[in-house]
Amino acid sequence: MKIEVIGPEPACARCKSVMENAQKAGAQAKEKGIEVTVEKLNILSREVVKRYGVLISPALAVNGVVKVMGRVPSKEEIERLLTQTK
Amino acid sequence: METKRVVKSAIMISFVAFFVVMMVRAIVGAYTLTPTSTAEDLKGLPLWEIPLVYMWDYAQHGWTCLGFAFTVAGLFAEFIPQDFMTRYMSSGKPISYLVATLIGPLFCVCSCTMVPIFAGVIYAGGGIGPALTFLLVAPANNLLADIVTIQVLGWRIALADIVAAGISAVVIGYAVSKTPWGKRFEAQFKKNQASAASVELVKQPVDERLWSALKFGGYLAKQIVPAFILGLVVVSYFQAFFPENIVKAYLTGPLGVVFAALLAGPLYTPTLIEVVLGKALVDLGMSPGATIAWLMGQPYDIPNALSTSRIVGWKIVITYGILAFAFSVISGLIYEAIITL
Repeated sequence: MKIEVIGPEPACARCKSVMENAQKAGAQAKEKGIEVTVEKLNILSREVVKRYGVLISPALAVNGVVKVMGRVPSKEEIERLLTQTK
Repeated sequence: METKRVVKSAIMISFVAFFVVMMVRAIVGAYTLTPTSTAEDLKGLPLWEIPLVYMWDYAQHGWTCLGFAFTVAGLFAEFIPQDFMTRYMSSGKPISYLVATLIGPLFCVCSCTMVPIFAGVIYAGGGIGPALTFLLVAPANNLLADIVTIQVLGWRIALADIVAAGISAVVIGYAVSKTPWGKRFEAQFKKNQASAASVELVKQPVDERLWSALKFGGYLAKQIVPAFILGLVVVSYFQAFFPENIVKAYLTGPLGVVFAALLAGPLYTPTLIEVVLGKALVDLGMSPGATIAWLMGQPYDIPNALSTSRIVGWKIVITYGILAFAFSVISGLIYEAIITL
């Protein structure tokens, strides 16, 4: 599974906390045997806008679908998102 | 589990209600929520005591207003349907100007969300017009700034500022999109519909949304309050020592409007501090028209211009900078003319 954290470069404080929560949730999932990669995307790149449209930072996508934008999801919420997407 | 959620929601709603009631009480009772110290009060004091007295004065009145502003800003950011707003703003239709002007400022309280939305609208083919309107109106009319302006400078000036900033942002956005270089820039980006399937926002239970809203309000407070306190320190000295006759000489009349717009433009201050600084200048004798020009001189400060120039290039930045300056002067003059009728 792939988590993408989408925010400006350099990352603002809220994007950093999304990144941290995503990494923690990813590590947790790995213990349960789910392979998760966490990636940071630049919200200001044309590539990202082409794929996802206009986003409000910070945003989080799971397997190429934006699930959360404009707020910081907790580690538990990201875990929930991962199990729901599976 | 269910009752726990209900209880949690109830606690948070009463917290919000508390600030709403306090705010309404202040408005109905016509309490002043701003510092009441005058130059005479401050001048006699030792240097170190001036900011403390001023801040204590502010803290006694201002906490209701700030608490209310941060709470409401958090709530709006959480509960305004975001995908609705981003979809309409990048639609390239005239309605995108309306959405940018009316909804943009309600939840864009954080500058690091603004530039990405600006760039996103352009890259998605929504056009430079609505993107620029959004970029100009969001910091000028953001919710925090509006609430504080109403409380600090009174609703007349606040309303005039909100209306003038909204109208000029739309006109400037539209005008820039019609310039030859604006059109050339726009032509690089074809309208592309990001497939709707790529965004599927999840819904959260109410108690978690409320919590997330309050947390964001708290985050904003943490970001802004330190700068705000620093601003108050500066303003307190300003109020105590800045010679009244200079303000009276240069910040009144038609020339005063021009000077105020020139001063406020490149000055990089958070909007909230600009409002308090404006209040100090008003107390020292700045005219209402100059105050409007001062308040509207927010969006074209230098750091803002730098980051947008990387996306749209200098030519467009200079065009909208000049237009924004012209519009703050014109709005100031119109306001001055209206109130002296």
